[in-house]
Amino acid sequence: MTAVIEVQNLTKRYKDTEALAGVSLSIQPGSIYGLLGRNGAGKTTLMSILTAQNFATSGEARVFGESPYENPRVLSRMCFVRESQKYPDDATPRHAFTAARLFFANWDQALADRLIEDFQLPMKQTIKKLSRGQLSAVGVIIGLASRAEVTFFDEPYLGLDAVARQIFYDRLIEDYAEHPRTIILSSHLIDEVANLIERVIVIDKGRILLDEETDAVRDRAVTVVGDAAKVDAWSQGREVLHRDELGHVASVTVLGHLSGAERAEVAASGLDLAPVSLQQLIVRLTQKAGAEALAADTQEVR
Amino acid sequence: MSRTLNVIRLQLINRQTFIWVPLIVLASAVLVSVLIYAMIPTSDPKYGGGGQAPLWVFFAVGMSAMTMTFPFSQAMSVTRREFFLGTLITAVLASAFMGVLFLIGGGIEMLTNGYGVNGYVFHLPWLWEAGPLGAFIVYFALALFFFVVGFTGATVYKRWGPVILTIASLALALILVALAFLVTRLEMWEQVWIGILDLGALGLALWGLVVVALLSVVSFLAFRRATP
Repeated sequence: MTAVIEVQNLTKRYKDTEALAGVSLSIQPGSIYGLLGRNGAGKTTLMSILTAQNFATSGEARVFGESPYENPRVLSRMCFVRESQKYPDDATPRHAFTAARLFFANWDQALADRLIEDFQLPMKQTIKKLSRGQLSAVGVIIGLASRAEVTFFDEPYLGLDAVARQIFYDRLIEDYAEHPRTIILSSHLIDEVANLIERVIVIDKGRILLDEETDAVRDRAVTVVGDAAKVDAWSQGREVLHRDELGHVASVTVLGHLSGAERAEVAASGLDLAPVSLQQLIVRLTQKAGAEALAADTQEVR
Repeated sequence: MSRTLNVIRLQLINRQTFIWVPLIVLASAVLVSVLIYAMIPTSDPKYGGGGQAPLWVFFAVGMSAMTMTFPFSQAMSVTRREFFLGTLITAVLASAFMGVLFLIGGGIEMLTNGYGVNGYVFHLPWLWEAGPLGAFIVYFALALFFFVVGFTGATVYKRWGPVILTIASLALALILVALAFLVTRLEMWEQVWIGILDLGALGLALWGLVVVALLSVVSFLAFRRATP
């Protein structure tokens, strides 16, 4: 398969900050990617450059094998509604969706109507008077109903309540199953999107820290649950990412892959293996990578 | 090309912006002008500048086309070239619409003898010197000029920030002041006024269109690298 997006050594410098520091990655078609990282890590900047909304200081980004800048062939196959998206003065959601229908060849009005219903979006209110959640819903509906070959969602859940967020995740999966495409979902709520994403890209301070299959990432650690004393004895000497205790029961997440034999051993000793929280794992990996980078920097200074 | 045409449709989806607001402002200005004319106790023809009111709307629309509609067009995956061309064509259409309104207003004033109070908002003698077509072009050029100034100002602001916009405006103002100073020093005001009168409103409007073209080029060059 050829990559839909190919990024090489992308940098973006603002006056005194480096938003992207040599990012290289490739995005394969027909997959849901999680672009994860803290606020200000460079997620929106990266997506902006890929859609030619912003410009790189150096490096190259190719989408469908071409440069996206001023390229209608490439741009018309992408959709990126940013988290702080602006809409024309006095526009209502109805105006915004009418416009989207003009520009996105695969626009599905039935899907849009259903989502409007789902999110109970007021269609005649001007967008500037909508709540934060309703504003997010407008962006989510454009992103889903446009069915663009490459769709970016930029923290789409901001201000949405738990029910609305679940609606978004459900509709995304449903529609993706029927119409496979490339979806890049930027988020800092990692656990919420963990079940959606097939591949994880972690970005921190403009650098890619992790670019792996979600399952492979999960395999990097293991959670063991059981009698607190036994669990602690087992985790002795291992790198503990997280520990929870309730009464006599403890749950410990440790870094490192377990072999089949080791897994059997855990089960035999009366302990249970539980799924790892992707969020805790990534937070820890991010901190670790940050510390290593810091150490490397200090060494360079010496 | 069809995507550029779609930008025109995008700009006109909300007809309020380009059509209804200028129309309402114009109607209000006419109403207020006529009321004032009716209160002035003289039988001489009365002229006023109420017709310029919707031009300021075009200035604001030009700014908001850049600050609000452009970021939205980016989410619609429109290229900057498509957006710029489509928006400029929309402004030309809307300005032509204003020109037609101006003609209709002038016609009404002729037929009703200045709303029955001998007062005029549209049918100003100097503007109509070159006939109805001339008057149309004058008003069309003015509306387009205001739009392009608003759009260019907002583009410069977005691209380089408030400081550069202020410096550029200041530089422009200083040049104008310097020209005025020069004319005063050389005692050429008489020639200048005669020149302007010779050019007539139509001649000035045509020069205005040249300025519009120049500003459009400047604003396109700045706009090519603008970010939403």
